[in-house]
Amino acid sequence: MHRKILIFGVIFVIALATIPLLVHDTFYLRVITEAIMWIGLAITWDVIAGYTGYLNFGHGAFFGIGAYTTAILMMRAHWPFGLALIAGGLASGLTAAFIGAPTLRLRGAYFAIATWALARALQQLALVLNFTGGPDGMRLPPFLNPEFFFYAMLTVVVITFAGLWILLEFAPFGLKLKAIREDEAGAMALGLNPTSLKIQSFVLSALPTGIIGGVYAYWITYIDPASVLGDLVTDQAVVMAVFGGLGTLVGPAIGAVLLFAFKTYFWAYLSDYQVLYLIILGAVIALSVVFLPDGLWGTILKYKSSKSPMPLRNDTGETK
Amino acid sequence: MKSLFKMGTVVLCVLSLFLFGFSGIGNAAERDYFKVGVITSLSGDLATGGNVTKRGYDLWAKAVNEKGGIKINGKFYKVKLYYADAQSEPSQGASAAERLVIQEKVDFVLGPYSSGVTLAVAPVLEKYKIPMITGSAESPLIWKQKFHYTFGTIPPVNYTGATPIKTLVKLQPAPKTAFILGSNDAFSKATAEAFKAAAEKLGIKVLKYNIVPAGQDLTPFMSVAKALKPDLIAFGGHDEELVNLVKSLKQINYTPKALLMHYGVTEPAFVEALGNAADGVFGASVWTETLPTKGTFLWSDAKSYADAAMKAFKVPPDYTQAGSTAAGIAFQAALQQIGATPPLSEEERDKLVSALEKLDIDTFYGKINFADEGQYYHANVGLEPLTVQIQKGKVVIVGPSEYAEAKAIYPMVPWNKR
Amino acid sequence: MELLPQAIVDGLLIGGIYITIAIGFSLAYGVMHIIDFAVGEWIMLGAFLGFYLHKGTGIDPFILLPVVFLVFFGVGYIFQPLIHRVLSGKRGNPVLMGLVFTFGLALMFRGIALTAFGFYTHSIPAKFFQGSLFFQFGNFFVTIPMIRLAGLIYALSITAILHYLLKNTDFGLAVRALAQHKESAGLMGVNAKKTGSYVYGIYVGISAMTGVIIGSIFSINAQMGADYTVFAFFVVVLAGMGYLAGVPWAAFLLGLVQSFFLIYLSPSYTLLAVFGILYVILLISPKGLFAKGV
Repeated sequence: MHRKILIFGVIFVIALATIPLLVHDTFYLRVITEAIMWIGLAITWDVIAGYTGYLNFGHGAFFGIGAYTTAILMMRAHWPFGLALIAGGLASGLTAAFIGAPTLRLRGAYFAIATWALARALQQLALVLNFTGGPDGMRLPPFLNPEFFFYAMLTVVVITFAGLWILLEFAPFGLKLKAIREDEAGAMALGLNPTSLKIQSFVLSALPTGIIGGVYAYWITYIDPASVLGDLVTDQAVVMAVFGGLGTLVGPAIGAVLLFAFKTYFWAYLSDYQVLYLIILGAVIALSVVFLPDGLWGTILKYKSSKSPMPLRNDTGETK
Repeated sequence: MKSLFKMGTVVLCVLSLFLFGFSGIGNAAERDYFKVGVITSLSGDLATGGNVTKRGYDLWAKAVNEKGGIKINGKFYKVKLYYADAQSEPSQGASAAERLVIQEKVDFVLGPYSSGVTLAVAPVLEKYKIPMITGSAESPLIWKQKFHYTFGTIPPVNYTGATPIKTLVKLQPAPKTAFILGSNDAFSKATAEAFKAAAEKLGIKVLKYNIVPAGQDLTPFMSVAKALKPDLIAFGGHDEELVNLVKSLKQINYTPKALLMHYGVTEPAFVEALGNAADGVFGASVWTETLPTKGTFLWSDAKSYADAAMKAFKVPPDYTQAGSTAAGIAFQAALQQIGATPPLSEEERDKLVSALEKLDIDTFYGKINFADEGQYYHANVGLEPLTVQIQKGKVVIVGPSEYAEAKAIYPMVPWNKR
Repeated sequence: MELLPQAIVDGLLIGGIYITIAIGFSLAYGVMHIIDFAVGEWIMLGAFLGFYLHKGTGIDPFILLPVVFLVFFGVGYIFQPLIHRVLSGKRGNPVLMGLVFTFGLALMFRGIALTAFGFYTHSIPAKFFQGSLFFQFGNFFVTIPMIRLAGLIYALSITAILHYLLKNTDFGLAVRALAQHKESAGLMGVNAKKTGSYVYGIYVGISAMTGVIIGSIFSINAQMGADYTVFAFFVVVLAGMGYLAGVPWAAFLLGLVQSFFLIYLSPSYTLLAVFGILYVILLISPKGLFAKGV
């Protein structure tokens, strides 16, 4: 069984990796790169929200920390991109470890708002500090090689996906997190250490996000507090993950691809109807919550488990 | 594990849909019209300004096509605009640039609205060697980068910001003290910096200089002003913030001798929102509809442009809209000079850039003359910055003296005597 | 030092505006446990109704408040069953579902508003409550803008009315019963659906009226909602989710932080301080200022 998944995964990644050989249109390549980026952001958010049950509303802050760390090290300390990128990921991970212990004591809406406030505070900090460039933001040297950024983003997201898959779906770690999500006191009674596990999952969510942020900064060549530390990253990741199905890795990935494809298609080829975009997107999100409460992938899984004689493991993130 | 394979099929299907869902790639075949890319923010936080620039670009295209097109070597070539919304996001701006260049094969680009988007778009256009003129990038940041293919018809705020202060110090009794503040975004901060530099140079004592968070309620800060009684309050900000600041001063009932803002007071919405409270507010501009200009392209003067704009959109034009239209005219003039026909080759686009650098034309908007060196590199330095004031709901030029249409109302009429 | 009374007054007045933004939301959360992302959009829609009603009739916006309330009470009443459906049933994580659902609604409302009202900033000109009160004693002086004072009085009255309704009426009893235990309340004969609809209607109505007040103190535009949503969340959480009596104190605290930073400390750091303090308070007291949140 494990071998089958491995083979499938390898084939799938190879298929993705051949895209630049087939697609020479650099706009498509840019769009696919961004789609892959959103897959990464949606699944990393899902680690803390879907698996562990903590709604992080400051996910964008980790993205921004990675982007800014990479940019600052490259521009002010003249580090090479690779090193700066790793430092960006580490900075995000360390921030998560540091704030995790006090913040993860909060539950539900309190945790959501605390992380949101913290993300906003970081955005304000980037606006008032000098070495971040304040509101002027930072420019990075334009490299603009579409294939390079495609492979960079793909590598980061594939490693993230594979790592999370192994940890969350095969190793006991995933089950431990779900135990915390379902009943934190009960998990403790079973001899688990929820505090430490929660912090680990928080770091696991933040570190790859920081690296993705670093790739983004070098790719787009310009970052400012509004674009990398604003609410947009969090909002989109949340919506994509919920639309796809929480508590699974495949669901958020599908959600990310579908919503991003919809957004991009509308934007590129139906721009005359731009005013309708918000209305349609809003309606899709609201209706999906009403009719697909488990998300797209969650609904498919549920449907199949109701058909199959042997019930599959319930991966749909229910708390009741 | 069957589920995994099915999942794989789903993902692959989605991906392929995603790949082939887009329309085919345009070709660079011979055509009798120019493809003009327009990147601006039609949605998101900066949609107000973005839509003003859209009106400017639209009006240019409409006027050109009504005349049959751009006349090059005796033949007329129409222009066709291809819009891409930057959604006020730098990354979306970069995507927009890539799409217009690669898929639509545009010949040149009319530029974005904000400095953030411009800074992400410009490197992409440098890479593909596509010239761009923006009608509304007023932040000095852009011009410091010295992008070879990027130009702007509106002079940056550090070029225009000093003018209203110069006008103010000539009034009697001249303002001696000032409160200068700016909202914490790239443009507003640069505006406040320009005001401060000019005030200090001209001997006005700056009592307080602060950059404040965008969208912040500034009433407590204005209470400080009420205590320190500065003669001049100068503020760099965007539409909504300007309206709120005036209302806040009115609410605490403090009238400085002069209240100065920058872009935004010439927007019709400013006067509409504030009514008679807008009267007496100073601003900086490079164009008003009453400016005596002599145009050799499309419109003969500012007045006829304003009439055409009013007819087309039912909204009076401000200088951003005029600057955006002028960006189109600059391309038009440069194309005629080099006699290039669509589609433009890379060589022709390079020639176009050289022609733009040398350009020196008179338009309804004023003189267009892009700087080719220094801190204003590729920004338009052909214009005379103006001091304007809202008088009875109209934007009136009050300085420099050779352009003044009316005497400045000074000191400001107290709020409770209106 | 002579600005101290002014700093306090300004802080309280800003706080008054935050109360109006947050009080209805806190009530709705207490009963329905919904984190409504559309709160700012209800404010925006109410503001535009006030703006156009005033434009059409010339009646002062303060007199129009009851009209705006009634219209949006109706809207909320009609909307509630839909939200009830999202929040109940066999759903995993109802809080998140409600949140994402209302986020979708918020995007829709914003899109509709942009289409219908355009991008421009407007202001609702009030004729009542113009001018300001001015007091001076020695070196100290205080200016109190009438319209902001009216906003504060409006906020406190709404708080008092809600408080009275909850403590002294049958409706209030039903609401409190629902907030404490939904199932038992149902057994005791409380019609959860109907009571929920009233509560949501009241919340939407109050938010819409708040929009009109904001339009006459500040300005309005189709994209204003998001900013107010943030502050509504922050105030309600700081007060303790669903703890109505905490709302004024949380609102005043955030207002005072702003006025003291703007007047005495560094204006640039105002919002950094607001968000930072909010975060730290939540760490120290995880259920809001008074540890009474649900």
